[in-house]
Amino acid sequence: MNASAEWEDLVSTALVGTDRRPLPGGAPGEVELLERAAVHTLRMRAGHRLEKGEPLSVAPPEEQPALSPAAADRLARILGGERPRLLTEWLETAAGHGYRISPHLLPELLDQGARDRSIRPHLGVLAGNRGRWLAGLNPEWGFLLEEVTSAAVTGADGAREVWELGTSGDRRAHLAALRAADPAEARELLAATWEKETPDDRAAFLEVLAERLSPDDEPFLESALDDRRREVRHQAADLLTRLPGSRLGLRMAERGARYLSVEDGRIQVTPPAACDGAMERDGIRAKPPRGTGERSWWLQQAVARTPLAVWPRLLGRPPAELVRMKIVDWGREVMAGWVRATVLQGDPEWARELFAWDPLADLLAALPPAEQERVAADFVRRHGLDGQLIMVLGGASAPWGPGLAKAVLQKILEVSGTQPWNLGELTKLAGERIDPALYGVAERLSPEPPIQEVAALLRFRDDMLKELV
Amino acid sequence: MIERWNRDQVLALAPDAPSQKAAQGVSSPGKWSGIGVTADALWGECKGSGSKPYRACVDLSEPAYRCSCPSRKFPCKHALGLLLLWSADGVPAADEPADWVAEWLDQRRDRAAKAATRAAATADPAESGPPGGGRRAEQREQRVAAGLSELERWLADQIRQGIAGSRRHDHWDGLAKRLIDAQAPAVAGSVSRLNAVLATEDWPARLLGEYALLHLLSVAHRRLPEMVRASGDGADAPERAGAPHPAAAGLLQRVRERVGFPVTKEEVLAGETVRDVWDVLGRRDEEQDRLIARRVWLRGRATGRPALVLSFAPVGQALDASLVTGTALDADLAFYPGPSPLRALVAARHDAAPAGPAPGSTPERALEEVARALAGDPWVDSWPVVLDGVTPARGSSWQLAGPSGGLALHPSAGTPWRLLAASGGHPLTVAAEWTPRGLRPLTTWDEKGRVIVL
Repeated sequence: MNASAEWEDLVSTALVGTDRRPLPGGAPGEVELLERAAVHTLRMRAGHRLEKGEPLSVAPPEEQPALSPAAADRLARILGGERPRLLTEWLETAAGHGYRISPHLLPELLDQGARDRSIRPHLGVLAGNRGRWLAGLNPEWGFLLEEVTSAAVTGADGAREVWELGTSGDRRAHLAALRAADPAEARELLAATWEKETPDDRAAFLEVLAERLSPDDEPFLESALDDRRREVRHQAADLLTRLPGSRLGLRMAERGARYLSVEDGRIQVTPPAACDGAMERDGIRAKPPRGTGERSWWLQQAVARTPLAVWPRLLGRPPAELVRMKIVDWGREVMAGWVRATVLQGDPEWARELFAWDPLADLLAALPPAEQERVAADFVRRHGLDGQLIMVLGGASAPWGPGLAKAVLQKILEVSGTQPWNLGELTKLAGERIDPALYGVAERLSPEPPIQEVAALLRFRDDMLKELV
Repeated sequence: MIERWNRDQVLALAPDAPSQKAAQGVSSPGKWSGIGVTADALWGECKGSGSKPYRACVDLSEPAYRCSCPSRKFPCKHALGLLLLWSADGVPAADEPADWVAEWLDQRRDRAAKAATRAAATADPAESGPPGGGRRAEQREQRVAAGLSELERWLADQIRQGIAGSRRHDHWDGLAKRLIDAQAPAVAGSVSRLNAVLATEDWPARLLGEYALLHLLSVAHRRLPEMVRASGDGADAPERAGAPHPAAAGLLQRVRERVGFPVTKEEVLAGETVRDVWDVLGRRDEEQDRLIARRVWLRGRATGRPALVLSFAPVGQALDASLVTGTALDADLAFYPGPSPLRALVAARHDAAPAGPAPGSTPERALEEVARALAGDPWVDSWPVVLDGVTPARGSSWQLAGPSGGLALHPSAGTPWRLLAASGGHPLTVAAEWTPRGLRPLTTWDEKGRVIVL
């Protein structure tokens, strides 16, 4: 009997007991069994042999620069729960510089990416070859294999190969780089493989064409209005709306003329009576969401998809006057349509006028950065601390310069005397959006704890960004 | 000069996960004032909820911690937060410690000096010898002997009746209590830990193995004294046919320790010491009966000797945090007597030494070492090993493999993602705790030699 068979025998005898199953040949069975078991146990422990195993593949060497130890430590701190809301900024900055993160931090970061879709595009760069190697071992991290793999896709030689063989993230990055350099070539490259792309890729690639949009793109976009995938059709319609003089723009202008007119200094509205196939092709959805009337829904979308330049021509008044005019019966829909159109088309003039009427974060974001700050600072000074103030500030693009920073810090100081319990979100937002180089200004402004908290957060970010240069 | 510890190393000092989190909350520069660091001390004042800031300082050479906050956790979140700030290079260097820090350091030195004098005084031969008188000692011997012979009978009964029916978590409670009454606390502990065996799939085989080793312990306790007597003093008896091995005396000492006769610290410190540069490989805390046992594993760079510094504290109370994973210290260690000496006390610290990957060996050599240890002390169930040039590999479970094969990891290691990430399929140096069920990885080092706590 070999050793392992004898051990099995001892175990099964012990299970039922020597009373029922005596050891073969053994006298007082139980002691004999225990002693033989002791010998076996020790033999197994002391005589343990190496096992054959299947070695792992070897991760390819890295091409990207490694993080400094200080930057790696800071990432570990953030992942460990310190200032967790700064993770995205850290990742975005580090990915922008093309760094790769320290291997031992990868599992934690990839777990985070598995939970939070929004950080994945940065992880594609940061994970480096080691990260993709790891993702190959864990299906939960498989998302990484679809993301952009390096900060800059450059060089014409590799370009063709990236477009043919790269991850969808890499192909997107390649298309975007090409679009910035040569818009027509990018469009032609896309058109050549268009039919073979997956619906998800088609929608994502179309988004890239928003950059340097020109009338030359119209035929391609017009054909995309007939795509099988709704996201693709809508994306194409959005782009065509932004294109001055596009056929879609003209069609929408014609519809607009049927719906809106000016009579007796008031805007009269006749909403569409039906949503026909032509309207649907131009990006208007027929079926309203629950709780919205059909005609209201079609009207709102039609206004949103009509080039904004149409209205002053059609209604004979500049935007400033239009947004203040009385709209008979359908005011809510028309205004909502204009807001949506303004955001979609990024029109500063309309944004300015509409923001005064309804201060929405999206409208603020449609203004040029310097103006955003001015308008936001003004709003902060006039407005009390409430959810709307937070929302509006969320629309102002970061980093906030001295003007807006000062207005917000002043507001924090004001509120800290009256309702300090209400300050949490505002201090966080201020710390995250104010230009971190202004930490000294905040430190000196006041010893009040909420101000010092903002200063501490700014300083943390300032150090953090310096480590990532 | 103490090398700055990295974040992993600092967090590994925290008594528990909530402390780690709390420490991160007070690790930003804004929370601190009057901070500074010299070659071996670190201090600062942290604003708390009260009007007076908390004063925290760390003696980096020991290390030892002190804070004026009322927390009973140790090191407290302030000391840890301060260390985190230091680890992020956020503490300015100073020439001299602040007054209150210097005062504390002086007190510590005074106390250490007094303790040394006291130790020297008690080492006086006139005062040594068994305390408490022979009668009580004799009574205890009798109780233990009775308790262990009951254990022997109980084990035999189990095997006669079959262990199939023992799959209940309170199966060993009564026996463990009787062993405590019999003043054999260590063996009572081994018995109450048998519960854990039931959680595994191959519990009958493991339980039989544990029963067999307990049986071996009782028999050894019963028969070894006789063998030692028969071989004279046991130490220098000439080898005769049938004569007991002189190692019996050492083994008896180990058996008594495993039964629960403690060796006092004084006895250990009075014995021989080994000076070396000791790499602190890692540590593992384990809760048993509301008591936390902390094992810190070391290995000597020159001697290659493994060592275990064991400490205990009730749950929620301060554990020894004087050995930092990934650091190295030049120190004298005093080993507990017996064959395969492993457990040790730090008898004297000389200096910090530059840290880096500990020198390792192949898996084969590590297994040979464990086999030798088992030959000296059959009850050994954990042993620190450092493997170099090993790669994670897949077998029936994850393993660490050299060119001729791999050693399985302990099931609790799961898929060791951190280790896999650090390796990328390349060989690395890994410190691990050997156990009969597989290796528990402790630490590894990155390409720049920085320690990674696994």
